[in-house]
Amino acid sequence: MSQEPERASSPIELHKALSSAWDTPGGWGRLSAINHSILGKRFMIAAFVFFAIGGLLAMLIRVQIATSNTAFVGPEVYGQIFTMHGTVMMFLFAIPMFEGFAIYLLPKLLGARDMAFPRLTAYGFWCYVFGGSILIGAMLAGVAPNGGWFMYTPLSSSTYSPGINADVWLLGITFVEISAMAAAVEIIVSVLKMRAPGMSLNRMPIMAWYLLITAFMMLFGFPPLILGSILLELERAFDLPFFDPTRGGDSLLWQHLFWLFGHPEVYIIFLPAAGAISMMIPTFSRHELVGYRSIVVAVIAMAFLSFGLWVHHMFTVGIPHLAIAFFSAASGLVAIPTAVQIFAWIATMAQGRPRLDVPMLYLLGFFVVFVLGGLTGVMLAMVPFNWQAHDTHFVVAHLHYVLVGGFVFPMMAAAHYWLPHFTGRVSDHRLSVPAFWLIFSGFHLTFFLMHLTGLLGMPRRVATYPAEAGWDWLNLLSSVGSFVMTIGFALFVLDLIVQVRFGKAFRRNPWGARTLEWAMPTPPASYAFASLPTIEDRADRLDPDALAPSLARGEGYLGFMRNGWQETLGVDMTTGRPEQVIVLPKPTFLPLWSGLATGGFVLGLLFKTYWLALIMLAVTVVILISWTRTTGAREDTGPLAIGGGESAPPHWEADQAPSWWAMVFTLAANATLFASLIFGSLFLWLVAPGWPPAIAAGPGLALAVPCAVALLVAGLGGRRAASVLVAGSSPAAWLAACAAGQTTATILLVVMAAQVVEPTGHAHHATVFVILAYAALHTAVGTIFAVYGLWRLKAGYLSARRSLDLRIGKLWHDYTAIVGIIALVGTSLMAILAGVPEIQP
Amino acid sequence: MSEVTVQGRQLVLLAAGFIVWSVAFVALYAMLSVGCAYGWDRIDLAGGLTLQRVQLIVIFLVHLGAGLWLARALRPASTSRGDDHPAQFLRHAAYGTAVAAVAATAFTFAGIFALTSCY
Ligand code: HEM
Ligand SMILES: [Cu+2]
Repeated sequence: MSQEPERASSPIELHKALSSAWDTPGGWGRLSAINHSILGKRFMIAAFVFFAIGGLLAMLIRVQIATSNTAFVGPEVYGQIFTMHGTVMMFLFAIPMFEGFAIYLLPKLLGARDMAFPRLTAYGFWCYVFGGSILIGAMLAGVAPNGGWFMYTPLSSSTYSPGINADVWLLGITFVEISAMAAAVEIIVSVLKMRAPGMSLNRMPIMAWYLLITAFMMLFGFPPLILGSILLELERAFDLPFFDPTRGGDSLLWQHLFWLFGHPEVYIIFLPAAGAISMMIPTFSRHELVGYRSIVVAVIAMAFLSFGLWVHHMFTVGIPHLAIAFFSAASGLVAIPTAVQIFAWIATMAQGRPRLDVPMLYLLGFFVVFVLGGLTGVMLAMVPFNWQAHDTHFVVAHLHYVLVGGFVFPMMAAAHYWLPHFTGRVSDHRLSVPAFWLIFSGFHLTFFLMHLTGLLGMPRRVATYPAEAGWDWLNLLSSVGSFVMTIGFALFVLDLIVQVRFGKAFRRNPWGARTLEWAMPTPPASYAFASLPTIEDRADRLDPDALAPSLARGEGYLGFMRNGWQETLGVDMTTGRPEQVIVLPKPTFLPLWSGLATGGFVLGLLFKTYWLALIMLAVTVVILISWTRTTGAREDTGPLAIGGGESAPPHWEADQAPSWWAMVFTLAANATLFASLIFGSLFLWLVAPGWPPAIAAGPGLALAVPCAVALLVAGLGGRRAASVLVAGSSPAAWLAACAAGQTTATILLVVMAAQVVEPTGHAHHATVFVILAYAALHTAVGTIFAVYGLWRLKAGYLSARRSLDLRIGKLWHDYTAIVGIIALVGTSLMAILAGVPEIQP
Repeated sequence: MSEVTVQGRQLVLLAAGFIVWSVAFVALYAMLSVGCAYGWDRIDLAGGLTLQRVQLIVIFLVHLGAGLWLARALRPASTSRGDDHPAQFLRHAAYGTAVAAVAATAFTFAGIFALTSCY
C-alpha cells in the first residue's frame, strides 16, 4: 500500500485510471453495482414502474365507480385495488422516487464522487424491489391487503382480516421502510460530510437543504409507523392484544402511530419536489434564487409543524375539543412556510427574465394545481367543514391536488430538466407539449369533479352507489378525464424513449444552469468528477462551463489515483474544510445477498414458518457482518496528500468518520421508535378501556437489579475499550467485560420477558413483554458488537489511530445501557401504575 | 473534539426554537389527556378556573417564556447580514426559526385560555 498519488499525464489517462477503479463490471457483474449514478437510475426506473402499476389500479378504480351499481370487480377486489393503489403510490412510488433522485443527484450537486455508503444504497435498493414485489405478487395472487392504505385496526386485526392480506402489507411495507431509513441516514451523512472543499453549509445548493431536512423528517417520522406495523403484526401473529379493546388495547393507538407518520409523509413527498422547483426556477428565470435563508427557515418550520397536525386525520374519532384546536391551528399554520416558498419562487421569476420551456410548463401546472389543493386543505383544516367532508370524495380530490400537484408535476418537470444529464441528449419537445396538456386537462377533469361528488355526499372507498344519488354523470366525466390523463402519461413515456434513442447530443449544460452537476461530462462517468472543485461562492452561482475543463484535467482535489482506491473527500460539517479522505468500497454482490436473505426472513414471517425466518435472520446478520472484511486497514497510514499541497487522514483514522455519524443518526431513529413504544404503553394505560388488568406484571427486583448492573458493566466496558485503545493500550479486557455484560443482560432480559404472565391476556402484559424484548434485542446486538471488536483487534484492524470500530461500538453500548435501564425502570413503574386501583384514571 | 461540539451545537440551534414548540406540544397534549382522565376539569380552584386550565396555562407560559428567552439569546449581535460566513448564516437562520417558533407557540396553543378542555 502506498500513500503517494499516481498523477496521470493527460485528462484521458486520468479518465482511464479513475474508470478502472470506479466502473461496475458488465454482464452479471451489473448486479454488484453500488455506484450512485447506477443505483439512482435503478431506483427511479423501479419507482416509475410502480407508478405505472398504481396508475393502472387507478384506472380500474375509475372504471368501477364510473357509473352507479357497476358489477365490474365487486367490493372485495375493489378493497384490494384502492388499498394497493394508495399503498403503491405512497410507499413504492413517491418515497423511492425521491430516494433515487437524491442518490443520483446529491453527490453531483455537492461535488463528491459518491454517497457515503454505496453498499447500503444497493442493499436499500434490493430491499425496496423485493418488498415491492411481495406486495405486487400478493395482488396477483388475489391476497393483497384490502383495508385501505392506512390499515385501520380493528378492520386489519385478525378477527376481521383473517387471511394473510394484512400481513402482506405490514411485512412488505416494513421491508421497504428499511430501505427508506437507510436512505435517510445516508442522505443526512452525505450532505453533512461529503461536500466539495469550501462548500460551507450556507453555500450548499438549496436542494441539499431540502434533502437534508426531508431525510431528518424520515428519520423521525418512519419509526412510529415501523413500530405500529411490528405491534400489529405481533397482534396478528401471536395474539398480543395492543389494539384489541376487549383486552386493554385500543384501536386509536394504531391511528395515532399511523398518522404520526402519515401526515409528515405528505411533506416528505412534497419537500424534495419543492427542492427541485427551487433549482429549476432560477435556471429558467436566469436569476439566482431569492430569499435563500428565508427558504431554509421556512422548510425547517414546515418540517416541525407537519408533525404537529397528525390528529387532523382523526378529528371525528372523539378527541377533546381543546386538543383538536391545537391540531387545527398547526394545520392552518403550515400554510405560511409554504407560502414563503411560493413567494420566493414568484419573486425569483419577477426579478429574472423567465424563459418558457417544457420544465417551466410543468411548473406552471404545479402552481395552479398545488395552490388549489392548498386551498381545499385549509378548508379541511377547519373543523366544522371537516365534519361535513370527512371521508367523502372531496378529501380524495384534495389529496390528489396536493400529491399530484406537489409531487408528480414537479417530478415531471425535473425529469425533463435532468434527462439531458442522464442521457447526454436533448429533445426537441415535439411530444412533450401535447403530453403536458393532456395530463393537465385530464387531471382537472378527473379530480375537480370529485370535489363536487364529495360535496354531494359520495363517500370514499365504496365500490358502488345507488343511481338515485344522482352522481352518475359527474363520475362518468371524471372517469373519462382519468383516461385522458393516462393517454398523456403514455405520451410522456413515449417522449422520454424518443429522447433517449434519438435526442441530439450536446456538449454540456444545455439549460445554462449554474450548479455543479453540470460541470461534468454527460452522461456522467462512474466517478462523477475527475477532480473535486474548490467552492468560493454559493454553489448555485457557479460557472459550470468554465469549471468543467479544469476539473477534467485533474486540477482540483484528488485529481489522481492511489492504490486503486475509490476516494472522495470528507469535510467539516459547517465550514467545508477538507478533513478526511473517504475510501469507498468496490462493487460487490454482498448487498444483493443480504437483500435476498432479508427477503427470506420476511417471507418466513409472512408464511408463519418461524424456523425459516430465524435461520434467514441469522444468515442476514452474518452477511451484513461480512461486509466489513474489506473495510479499514491493518496499518496506520497517516495523512494523505489530497492535492494543492494539502493532506488529510483516511476516514478510518479521522475523528468523525461518516460511519460514526451514521450510527449517531441510526440511534436517533431507534430512540424515536423506543419513545413511541413507551408513549404507546402510557397511552393505553390512560385512554384504553379495560384497565386495570386483573394482575400487574413487571420484572422482579431479583432479576432487574443484576440486569441493570450487567448493563452498566457492558456500557462501561464499551467506553473504556475505546478510550484505552486511543491511549495506546490493548482494549481486549474491556471488550471481554463488555461482551460478558451484554450476554448476561440478554439472558436476564429473556428470562424476565418469559416470566411475564400470559402476554396475550391483556395489553399491559403485552407491552411489558415487548419492552423487555426490545431491550434484549439490543443487548444481543451489543454482544455481537463487542465480539466483533475483539475479532477486529485480533485481526490487526485496530490501533490508537484506527479506533473507529470501537468508537462506533461505544455509541451502541451507551445507547443499550440507557434504554435497557429505562426499560427496567419503565416496566417496573408500569406494573405499579397498573396494579394500584386508586390511581387508575 | 471541542470544535466538533461547537459545530454540532450551531446546527442544532437551527431547530432549537421548534424543539421548544414540540416539547410544549407533547407536554400540553399529554397533560390535557391526563387531566381529562382524572377529571381535573371538574375541580374548581377559584372563580371558575379549573385545575385543568391552570396547569395547562402554566405549561404554556413556561414554554412561551423558554421560547422568548431562546429567541433573545439567539438575536444576532450585528445587523449586518453577513451571510457569507457559515457561523453568521447559521446564527441568523436560527434566530429566524426561533422567532417563528415563538409565534407558532402562541398561535397553536392559544385555545387553552378559552375552550372547554375535555369534550
Ligand atoms: C394517476 C392518476 C390517479 C388517479 C386517477 C387516482 C384515483 C384515485 C381514486 C379514485 C381514489 C379513491 C378510491 C376510493 O376512495 O374508493 C384514490 C385514492 C388514493 N390515491 Fe389516487 N389516483 C391517482 C394518482 C395518485 C397519486 C400520484 C398518488 C400519490 C402519490 C395517489 C394516492 C392515493 C391515495 C393515498 C389514495 C387513498 C387510498 C385509500 O383510501 O386507501 N393517487 N386515487
Ligand atoms: Cu394530514
